Amino acid sequence: MEIPWDIILIQTVNGLVTGMILALVASGLTLIFGIMDVVNFAHGELFMLGAYMGVVVLTTTGNFWLALVIAVLIVALLGAAMQITTLRPLLGRDPLNTILATFGLSLVLQNYALWQFGPVARKIQEPFTGQFTLFYLQYPWYRIVIAVLSAAIITGLYLFLKYGRYGIWIRATTQDRVMAQAMGIPVPWVHTAVFAIGAGMAAASGVLFGPLVGVNHAMGLDWVLKAFIVVVVGGMGNLGGSIAAAIFISLLEAYASIWVSPSQAIIVSSIVLILTLLFRPTGLFVPTPK
Amino acid sequence: MSAPQTSPQPLVSVEGIHTYYGKSHILHGVSLDIGPGEVVGLIGRNGVGKSTTLKSIMGLVSPSEGKITFQGQAITHQPPHKLARLGIGYVPEDRRIFKLLTVMENLRTGLDRAGVEDARKQALLDKVFAFFPVLAERRRQAGGTLSGGEQQMLAIARAMMLEPRIILLDEPTEGLMPRMVSQIKEIIGVLHRDGVAILLVEQNVPLTLEACQRIYFMEKGVVRHHAIASKLSVNDPVIHQYLGV
Amino acid sequence: MTKRHAKIYWTGFTVIIALLVIAPLVLPEFWRRFLTEILIWGLLAMSSDLLIGYTGMVSFGHSAFFGLGMYGAAAAILMVKPPNLWLAILYGLAASAAVAMFVAYFSTRLRDIYFAITTLIFSQIFYVIIFTWTEVTGGENGLSFARPALGIPGVYTVPFTSTTLHWFVLAIVAISYLVLRRVTQSPFGMVLQSIRENEARTRAIGYPVERYKMVAVMLSGLFAGLAGVLYAIQNRFAAPDFVYFLISGEVVIFNVMGGIGTLLGPIVGAGFFLGLREGFSRLFPWIATTFDMPYLAEFPYLIPVGIIFILMVIFLPQGLLGFMKQRLNQ
Repeated sequence: MEIPWDIILIQTVNGLVTGMILALVASGLTLIFGIMDVVNFAHGELFMLGAYMGVVVLTTTGNFWLALVIAVLIVALLGAAMQITTLRPLLGRDPLNTILATFGLSLVLQNYALWQFGPVARKIQEPFTGQFTLFYLQYPWYRIVIAVLSAAIITGLYLFLKYGRYGIWIRATTQDRVMAQAMGIPVPWVHTAVFAIGAGMAAASGVLFGPLVGVNHAMGLDWVLKAFIVVVVGGMGNLGGSIAAAIFISLLEAYASIWVSPSQAIIVSSIVLILTLLFRPTGLFVPTPK
Repeated sequence: MSAPQTSPQPLVSVEGIHTYYGKSHILHGVSLDIGPGEVVGLIGRNGVGKSTTLKSIMGLVSPSEGKITFQGQAITHQPPHKLARLGIGYVPEDRRIFKLLTVMENLRTGLDRAGVEDARKQALLDKVFAFFPVLAERRRQAGGTLSGGEQQMLAIARAMMLEPRIILLDEPTEGLMPRMVSQIKEIIGVLHRDGVAILLVEQNVPLTLEACQRIYFMEKGVVRHHAIASKLSVNDPVIHQYLGV
Repeated sequence: MTKRHAKIYWTGFTVIIALLVIAPLVLPEFWRRFLTEILIWGLLAMSSDLLIGYTGMVSFGHSAFFGLGMYGAAAAILMVKPPNLWLAILYGLAASAAVAMFVAYFSTRLRDIYFAITTLIFSQIFYVIIFTWTEVTGGENGLSFARPALGIPGVYTVPFTSTTLHWFVLAIVAISYLVLRRVTQSPFGMVLQSIRENEARTRAIGYPVERYKMVAVMLSGLFAGLAGVLYAIQNRFAAPDFVYFLISGEVVIFNVMGGIGTLLGPIVGAGFFLGLREGFSRLFPWIATTFDMPYLAEFPYLIPVGIIFILMVIFLPQGLLGFMKQRLNQ
């Protein structure tokens, strides 16, 4: 069989683009898990709501970038509200309770979107439609911009965590919640802020990815499932591992979809998940624990 | 019981607190006072509730009964981060360094407070680094890579970043080499001269007698006895009664 | 259990069974069906309680077992002529057992949330396979078939009526309950509960924890598959929607609402949830027409139900039955 190099290269680019978006979704998820042991089942819904907010603001203002910023802010605020009302009372209880509560949130949000926006998918117009030639294909510049922007947001997050005053608070709280409090760090608010940041990142991914697919109320599930696979494969709570795993899995799925239908490609990532669980249950991209 | 007089306006006053962990009743009405700038010892066998007393003052566990005041103000059910801002520093028994944060970042968790000017931050850092030159050397190193003694220094230095009025010191010399122990004693002296009050939980009797002005003795979740440190000797029967095996 | 408690318990059990036997004779058709459905969902929820309540593992993948039970039954009914009720059950159980073995082998290496996430992802794999393998599973449309008759084909059969179907379901659910209850009180069940309380210690004592967990998952999957068979027979179809993870989510909701670790609680929870669903899906259209608020006509019942669920997670973690038990004990 001849190896279709051109298709493989195109799929590499595609895989990197979705990989960066997935990394954006998953890094919020893993940040939230790392600091408060919360598995946010509603993360996909934040992605979906971000996309819808993008649709709403874009239709009223006509400006994609404004829509991106406003959607992120609104969803971040919503995330903060969710954290305060449903997760704060569960602090200190078994982490499984947080899965249940966020599952409840996801049902509410998804059905709200269905009721508010209807079952027909909406479209986000991409901010520019330029293309360049990749073999026989006209490849849209916009996809490249998505990847670069996602990378920029993730880098920004990294720098903030590494050097920012509040970034140090977040890392200290992640490592030792009790001692962080004893050092005067307002831990409940740090939790809220981290949840808002994660929500905002999910919303940003939703708006950025919106133009590539339709926006509908059920779009969050695919993403949250993939993001779950990514954070388990990358090592729960490990930011670098999640990013690496997101790119790795997206590339695999992109290559797989040369031969199978895209909806079956999730089976490929599930196989990666199974293998990870069998051989390295702490995650593929984590140094072996001593 | 010839209880010595406590200062008229205590800095921290604990009045009859009862604390539970789940269903087990740990503190059965603990009362004690610490005056401003005073170094006070808390002595007793393992498991009598010394650490729980410190945690109760710090707000890390919530007493179900009783009252704790700081500078006359009730703080019983305040969250720990507010107490830290009020001026209570905490150095826990297991040190609880942020292991993945560098030494400098560990210090910054307490230093980066609202309303502290850069000049004052620098002065605080200079002071701490003068006490603990080794921390200055290792400022970029992850806290988890420090030796036990260095971690203890970092834990104390970190609490000092809050410019506290009182530091709750839980077994600072546990597991340390003699040279480190005398350094800890020195630091307690320096803090005392600076006017910082200290509530010290220690198993090391000579150090406690030397460092403290007054000593409380705990047994089975209550304070049973109370004495001036200078009137006690290492072989005092009271000490045997509360610490001896 | 003391003798007095046992007496009260069995009296209560008999009374409830008697009421459920009489119910279809007095209820109108719609509510008769509704009650049968509660029992089937209750059985599914009960099977999941063996994991959630007794072993401390929250499965978000029970739809896979349930759905495979449905498809197994469908396979037997469509392939074997004449359709045989008992073969349908057998095939359904075999299909769900196969899936349960697969899921049990991999996911029991993990604990807590990792277990929850992997069971969820496994169930999605089966969903994708069933959804896309159109030639065999009928894809999106699923498979529909005639309901097999009650009895032994070739010897004596009688077609199901909604009343006899209800009794049949009731009998299976009641027997399943008694079996599961026996299991949870057996030495095996005690080990499961000690895994829930302290897994490390249970392992330290020398129990092969992984093997116990695997058996628990398989047993649970088997009863979930049985519920799937019953549902397929009641509704005469198998569809991919029932392998979808939302079903797993609802099962967890039934458990939490009713009270985990009680076996009966999940049935109560299923009844409560389905009751809320019926109530709200009538309430909103009624509000819409009565108060002239047409935008409320399509208001999804899952919004208020989701909020009630969240409130129960926060304020009533022991569930309805657990709460009543607490009240009675006081």
